[in-house]
Amino acid sequence: MRKLALIVRHEFRMAAANKAFVILTVLGPFLILAVTVLPTFVANNPAAMSAGRPVAISSAVPGAAEALAAAYEGMGVEVSVTDDPRAAKAAVLDGSSAGYVVVEAGWPDAGRALFYSKTGVDATMYASTRAILGAFARELRIGAAGIDPALVRGILADAPFEVLKIGPEGNEESKTQDDFMEALFVSLSFVMVLYMTVLLYGQMIGASVVREKTSKTVEVMLSSVTSRELMFGKIFGLGLAGLLQYGVWISVALALVKLVGPAFDLAVPASISPENLGWLLVFFLLAFFLYSSAYAALGAASEDEHHLGQLAWPLLLFLIVPLVMVSSFIMSPDSALATALSIFPMTAPLVMLIRVLVSDPPAWQLALSVGAVFASVVGMALLASKIFRTGILMTGKRAKLGEILRWVAVR
Amino acid sequence: MLKVEQVVKTYETVRAVDGLSFEARPGEIFGLIGPNGAGKSTTIRMIMNIIAPDSGTIRFDGERLSESDKARIGYLPEERGLYKKAKVGESLEYLAALKGMKLPEARASIDAWLERFGIADWRERKVSELSKGMGQKVQFIGAVAHKPSIVLFDEPFSGLDPVAQDELLAAMVELKEDGVTVLFSTHVMDHAEKICERILLVDRGREVLYGPLAEVKERHGRNAVQLEFDGDAAFVKDLPFVETVVAYPRWIEVELKEGSESDQLFRAVAGRLRVRRFEAVAPSLHKIFVRLVGRSPEEGNGAGAGEALRA
Repeated sequence: MRKLALIVRHEFRMAAANKAFVILTVLGPFLILAVTVLPTFVANNPAAMSAGRPVAISSAVPGAAEALAAAYEGMGVEVSVTDDPRAAKAAVLDGSSAGYVVVEAGWPDAGRALFYSKTGVDATMYASTRAILGAFARELRIGAAGIDPALVRGILADAPFEVLKIGPEGNEESKTQDDFMEALFVSLSFVMVLYMTVLLYGQMIGASVVREKTSKTVEVMLSSVTSRELMFGKIFGLGLAGLLQYGVWISVALALVKLVGPAFDLAVPASISPENLGWLLVFFLLAFFLYSSAYAALGAASEDEHHLGQLAWPLLLFLIVPLVMVSSFIMSPDSALATALSIFPMTAPLVMLIRVLVSDPPAWQLALSVGAVFASVVGMALLASKIFRTGILMTGKRAKLGEILRWVAVR
Repeated sequence: MLKVEQVVKTYETVRAVDGLSFEARPGEIFGLIGPNGAGKSTTIRMIMNIIAPDSGTIRFDGERLSESDKARIGYLPEERGLYKKAKVGESLEYLAALKGMKLPEARASIDAWLERFGIADWRERKVSELSKGMGQKVQFIGAVAHKPSIVLFDEPFSGLDPVAQDELLAAMVELKEDGVTVLFSTHVMDHAEKICERILLVDRGREVLYGPLAEVKERHGRNAVQLEFDGDAAFVKDLPFVETVVAYPRWIEVELKEGSESDQLFRAVAGRLRVRRFEAVAPSLHKIFVRLVGRSPEEGNGAGAGEALRA
């Protein structure tokens, strides 16, 4: 145990006492925000897209410019009305203007409405513009047909509709589209955190074991410790580093929820709760031990990091499949597939985390899932220590996966 | 005392070690000698309990090696390796700590060794900055800093310049004088000859010779002459009373046939070579190996047991 503790301390220091680790720990939450929330946020918010630049409008149809301006300003996009098409196009080209809208005389029945853009792909901007002009065109046509626009508006108005979530105690909770989006973002962020850290730490362990071989330190180590101590020392050392990183992230998240949110009256998503953060930690630990034992074994069997990459692709697959299907799991968290994958050990941590976040899986499924992963961790660790023992001394031979599995039987 | 009895290790189809037995005693330097691939490293790894023998026993003072006994052993593997990003001092402290040494004691011992090898300035430098020779000295310190009672050095001199080799030789002799059992392997017979008390000569996993060096030489001692000269000595091997010759451009070792005298050779070469040194000697280990095995130790054994499994 004393030797194990020494290796753990050494590996922890090697992992945590470097710039990359500190930077990742500090920037991690921002990175995750950047890859999950921001793109959707930007896509739904034309103001963010126009980046404070005005949209130029030139209209030959009375009222169209005003309707556009009112709607744009409601979205936070600045507007300038112009009669000089050449200057307006130039402004679009040099980037000082986010777009240029032209409504020709006779529109909507004879003339055209045009949206000039520099890229041609700023879909959010031109989709909003099309919607605004479409609504305005309908009003014009209704007016032209001699019908009172207010009457039509009344007829076409949305009928009331509500979604209620029934909580475990029978309490009812109103859900809106925003609630769904929020749950989607939070789940997506949590799943991304879990996926990235498990993959990162798994690969770190694998690379660290390969380095032990390529730098030839392994024999010196084995002259003092057993291969099992060496392997678990590495896993626990890096695990400790991972725990530290999660500790920082979860503290930041909790501070956001408990202190910063109320203090500045910010609406912090309700799904970032201590309970959900706790589940994130539980599934991280389970997934970490499962994947890092596997990576340690494959690292020991590899000739170099390239070879490790080749051997590790099946592991990667188990992590990527749930990630690809994440939106379908979020939308139907209790489907047969989601339930099955939330119990199958290799995919359970990611899939069960999603289910816990967006739904309320039965306690027995939760227990079965955690139990199955835990049992697999034990099994994987035993398997890995056997592979590790044979593999760590093997050089000059690029073993295939099947061959590696046979080492388990080596006395 | 280290006692190895009838150890056997087979890798797939290659029998790397085939029934070796020997003992190494406290306060002696024991040489495990043989060409590359003879099974030396495999034997040392089995002693170190890094790999398990298929059969046979290895005992320390009559007991099988347990994990806790590893603290009593120092090991310099053939393939040297230290964590490249770590500092020299830290690396050595880590290795000593794994052997159970307390930090202050370890520091004192490590500092003394660094001082001795003249690399004390490198304590705070990274391992990756060390030259190959310095790296080997650091590795050597890693094997001895925890004051083991047995040290196993696998090819300790390979890749070292002559000055560094002498420093290491002196350190090994000092360890022996302190009562440490020093076991080292080499394929360079000269090294063995300089410092070994007793040797085990192995080839293809089997014993060729075993015993005190002096006795071995006496047992296999026949008439041999070492000659240093200027000129072409190619004719010597054709002389009727010459058994075998180990030849270098300006140095040869000649083994004479039984019943022949060294002055016959002296008369034969006088006038044909400019002789600078002429010495009747017991044959070198190299010579003995060549005679017993039928080829030079530098040729290796070609079996390649050490290739697939680094063993």
